Amino acid sequence: MIKRPEVLAPAGTLEKLQVAIDYGADAVYIGGDAYGLRTRAGNFSFDQMRAGVEYAHARHAKVYVAANIVAHEGNLPGAEEFFQHVQETGVDAVIVSDPALIQTCVLAAPGLAIHLSTQASSCNWETLNFWQDEGLERVVLAREVGIEEIKEMRRHTDIQIEAFIHGAMCIGYSGRCVLSNHMGLRDANRGGCAQNCRWKYDIFDMPQLGQKNDLTSVGPDGKKEAFSMSAVDMAMIDHIPDLIDAGVDSLKIEGRMKTVHYVSTVANVYSAAVDAYMRDPAHYHTDPAWVDDLWKVAQRGMSTGFYYGTPTEQDELFDEGRERPQYRFIGEVQAYDVATQTVTVQQRNNFGIGDPIEFYGPGFTHYAMTLQDLFDEDGNAIDRAPHAMQIVTFHCPHPVRPGDFLRGQRVRRPHQRKAVQHA
Amino acid sequence: MAEIIATTESLEQAQHLLNAGVDWLYAGEDEFGLRLPHSFGRDELPALVELVHQAGKKIMVAVNAIFHNDRIVKVADYLQFLTDLHVDMVSIGDPGAIHVLQTNRFPLPYLYDGADLVTSSRQINFWGRHGAVAAQVAPEVPYGELVPLMQHVDIPVSYLVYGASVIHQSGRPLVDNYFSFVKQHQERSDRQRGLFISAPHKPETHYSIYEDINGTHVFATNDVNLMPALTRVHDLGIQYWKLDGLFVPGQQFAQIAAAFVHARDALAAGTWTADLAADGQHVIADNTPANRATDTGFFDIDPNEVQ
Ligand code: SF4
Repeated sequence: MIKRPEVLAPAGTLEKLQVAIDYGADAVYIGGDAYGLRTRAGNFSFDQMRAGVEYAHARHAKVYVAANIVAHEGNLPGAEEFFQHVQETGVDAVIVSDPALIQTCVLAAPGLAIHLSTQASSCNWETLNFWQDEGLERVVLAREVGIEEIKEMRRHTDIQIEAFIHGAMCIGYSGRCVLSNHMGLRDANRGGCAQNCRWKYDIFDMPQLGQKNDLTSVGPDGKKEAFSMSAVDMAMIDHIPDLIDAGVDSLKIEGRMKTVHYVSTVANVYSAAVDAYMRDPAHYHTDPAWVDDLWKVAQRGMSTGFYYGTPTEQDELFDEGRERPQYRFIGEVQAYDVATQTVTVQQRNNFGIGDPIEFYGPGFTHYAMTLQDLFDEDGNAIDRAPHAMQIVTFHCPHPVRPGDFLRGQRVRRPHQRKAVQHA
Repeated sequence: MAEIIATTESLEQAQHLLNAGVDWLYAGEDEFGLRLPHSFGRDELPALVELVHQAGKKIMVAVNAIFHNDRIVKVADYLQFLTDLHVDMVSIGDPGAIHVLQTNRFPLPYLYDGADLVTSSRQINFWGRHGAVAAQVAPEVPYGELVPLMQHVDIPVSYLVYGASVIHQSGRPLVDNYFSFVKQHQERSDRQRGLFISAPHKPETHYSIYEDINGTHVFATNDVNLMPALTRVHDLGIQYWKLDGLFVPGQQFAQIAAAFVHARDALAAGTWTADLAADGQHVIADNTPANRATDTGFFDIDPNEVQ
C-alpha cells in the first residue's frame, strides 16, 4: 500500500501557520526566538508556539521548530532551556543541524523528536543510518539528492525521509557555504546569509594580481551577462507520484519568509496533488490548474533541481531578473451572505471596480469574476479599497467561504523552464 | 609541540616537504577527498605512504567528501586499502563514512573535517565521543572564539595556518553552466584553468573558483597566512597546524612549509622574535604565486563583528 506523505509548509508567523494548515498542510515548520537560520523571518515566542501547536493539533497537523544554526563558541548557553521550553509547548519535533545542538536536545529534552536539517547535506543511506543510530526520527535530505538515489536509500534505511519539493534553492551543499561570512561578515550558518550566490560577479583569469583577463561574456540576448550562481526555483508538481513512490515521508515547501499568498497557494496545490494521487494513483495526472496557481506566486522560473540529474544552464538564473508575482494578494473573505449574494472582505492590497479578481480557498476551490460594485463598511458606494485592512462588501454571485482569499491581476508567467509542462 | 600537516601534489614535492621537516603529509584521491592538489590513485598512493613512513613521518588520507550512494558504497573498500597501507589517519566529513569506518571496525583513526561547519568545542566533543581523534576547526572561527574553544575541547584540533580557504561548495557545475549559457570559453573549468570571480563593486577581490568531480569550489579572496599571528596560535595550544598547498606548486610550497617548521621550532624553544616572523613573511611573499595574496583571514576578526 502506498503511504501518504505529509505536505510540510513553512510558517513564518502564527497567521501563516493557521493559513498553511487551513489550506491543506499536514505539518508546518516554524522558527523559535533562538537557534533558527531565518533570523529575519517572523519567529515564534513560546506562547505563540503553544498557540500554534494547539491550532495544529486540533486539526491533526504537526508543528516542527527549526533550530538549525551551527553554533559557535559562546552561542550555546541557554540551549538546554530552549529545548525544554520547546518540548513543553507540545511541538512535534525540532529540526537541527549542529551535532552540538542535537546532543543538547537529546539530554535536555529527552523524547523530543529530532529531524536532521538539510543543512547537514545528507546524501547517502549510510549517513541516514548514522543518524538513525543516534536516535533521530527523520533526515531532511540535501537538495542534491535525486529520485533514484532516494529509492536506493529506502532500500537501506527506514528512517523518515523529508525532501524539498518547492521553493527557492540554496545552491551550495547546504551548510557548506560561507560566502556571506567572507563577503559581508554575516554568518550563513547562523541566519546571516545575504544570498551572495544571487549576486552578479565578474569572472576572469589572472596571471598576476591585478592583471585580469575578463571572461564575462555576452548572453543570447546580446547583453553582457555577469557570472552568477543563482538558480531558478524548484517545483516538483509534475512529479508527485515519483516522490511518493520513492518513499519520501514528508514533502517540504521552502519559504518561511514568504507571504500568506504564497503559503496558502502552494500548500493548497500540493495537498490537492497528494490527495489526488492517493485517491486514484492509476488515473493520476497533473492538473494544469495546479501549475497555473504555482505560477501565480512564482518569483522565478522553476525546475526540478537535482531530482532528474545535475542542473544545467537551463536551471540557472542568468538572464531573468527577479520576477515579481503577477497576481497580488488583495483580501480575505470575512463573511458571505447567501440571500443577498454579498461578500465581506478585509482588504490586504488596493483593488477596485473593474478589476479581474479571483477567490481561492482550501480544497483548491477557485472562482474568478470582475468586480462590478464596492461598498465601504457603512454601505457607501466606493470605487476602490485603498486602505490596509479596510472592510468592504461587494456582490459575488458564487458562494465563497470565510477564510477564502482573493488575488488580483493577470498571470504573466516567467520564461518557461523544462519539466514544468502545464503552465 | 604542534605538529605540521602539509598537503602534497607529488612524490617529488612530498620529499621536499619531508626534508623541510613537516610531521604529516596530507593526500588523497578526488573520488573520496575534497580539494586536493593532486588526486593520488591507488597505483600512486602506496609509494607516497612508503616515502612518508621511511622518513619516520605520518600520512593522513582525505576521505572527507560529501558522499552520494554511488560513492559511499566504495568507501569500505577504500578504507580497507588504506588500512592495508598502514595509513596513520584519515579525515572524514560525512557521518556516512564514519558509519562505514565503525561498522567495519577499520583500525584507522579519523580526524573530523566538516569544513566550515566545525565551529564549537561542543560539536568537536560530539565527534570525539563518536571516535574522532582530532578535528579540523573551520577557518571562520576567529582567535576570540578559539581561546574558549581550546579550553573546552576533549580532543586535539587542527587549524589552517596557511593556504586557500574554501568558502563554498556546490553540487552544480556553476562555471560550466555559465560558459554554456554564454557559449564562450567552454573548454575548461578545472583548477589549472586559474579562474577567479570578483564581487560586485569590489574589483579588488579575486575568489578562486573551479570545478571537479565533487562540484564547484569557491575560495576566500586571499589565502590564509598566520605567520604574523603564530605566537597566539602557539599559545592557544593548537595541536596541528595545517598548511594547504592547493594553489602553491612544488618547491615554493615546500619553502613555505619550511618557514612554518622553523617558526614552530622557535616558538617551542622560546626563541621566536619579530625579526624571525618578518623573515618568515619574506619567505612566504617570495613563494606565493604571482596571482595570489594572503592575509590572516578570520583569525583577527572580532567575533562580535560577525552577524
Ligand atoms: S549564499 Fe546562496 S548558496 Fe550560500 S548559503 Fe546563502 S543561499 Fe545558500
